[in-house]
Amino acid sequence: MPPLQISRTRDRLESPHALHPVDLAPLVGTWVNFDTAATGVHHLEIGDRDGELTVHTWGSGMPDPHDWGEAVGEPFTDGVALDAAVAFRANYDFGFARVMLACYLNKRLLVVDAYTVFQDGSGRSPYFRRDHFYIP
Amino acid sequence: MEAQSVRLEDRPAGEAPGGGQVDPSPMLGTWHNTDKNTGGIVRMQLAERSGTFLVHAWAAGAPDLHDWGEAAAMAHAANAHSHEGMAFSAVYDFGFVETILAAYTKSGILVLDTFNTFKDGSGRSNYFTREFFHR
Repeated sequence: MPPLQISRTRDRLESPHALHPVDLAPLVGTWVNFDTAATGVHHLEIGDRDGELTVHTWGSGMPDPHDWGEAVGEPFTDGVALDAAVAFRANYDFGFARVMLACYLNKRLLVVDAYTVFQDGSGRSPYFRRDHFYIP
Repeated sequence: MEAQSVRLEDRPAGEAPGGGQVDPSPMLGTWHNTDKNTGGIVRMQLAERSGTFLVHAWAAGAPDLHDWGEAAAMAHAANAHSHEGMAFSAVYDFGFVETILAAYTKSGILVLDTFNTFKDGSGRSNYFTREFFHR
């Protein structure tokens, strides 16, 4: 077998690796923002639907949170030969704006980085926002 | 007409719109990984050329570093009303793997997350990294 292509040392597989589905369990649950006055993401429901990571997000709103609906998440492990999910990405396109959620676990804290780009000519800047979530 | 929003912080603050432009200059320069033994990205050069914000990355390899070349980057501010760049995202597609860079700066440190998706059927797991850089 020809050597695997790598873009950096970490891509290297040190020994044969049987392909396993990623274990989504560490990510699954309802994650609530630590900051009750947060103006960004309010909470997320993350699920495992037959091996597919589902991400349902609510943004802060008055009087009720904005329901962003469900998106497919892409799970990531901590290395090329590992199976437990430690991070995920999900994309939302609202037409007037698109948001990439780039998220990872730190212990049992979920860190959610939202990269937002407005597409409506409103003059609002692309912006970055970080929030921290826990499972109550 | 009221601007659309999906969370409170999306709402315009009332000041004159800035055209949605973010100045990446606070992030420009060469950033070095704080871990000298990293198996990931060793250094990055952030530059602006002809109005385009670019990232150039070099990754760990032996005997030489892997030169990833340049990729267009998107600068982000700290909120929708600021024009000062403090974060960016970029995509490298190497064919066999796609790497998304998602980075922000804080107190002189650049924190880089990478999301790596293999497309070569090699059985390698898609993986995440988080590394720290200084200028």
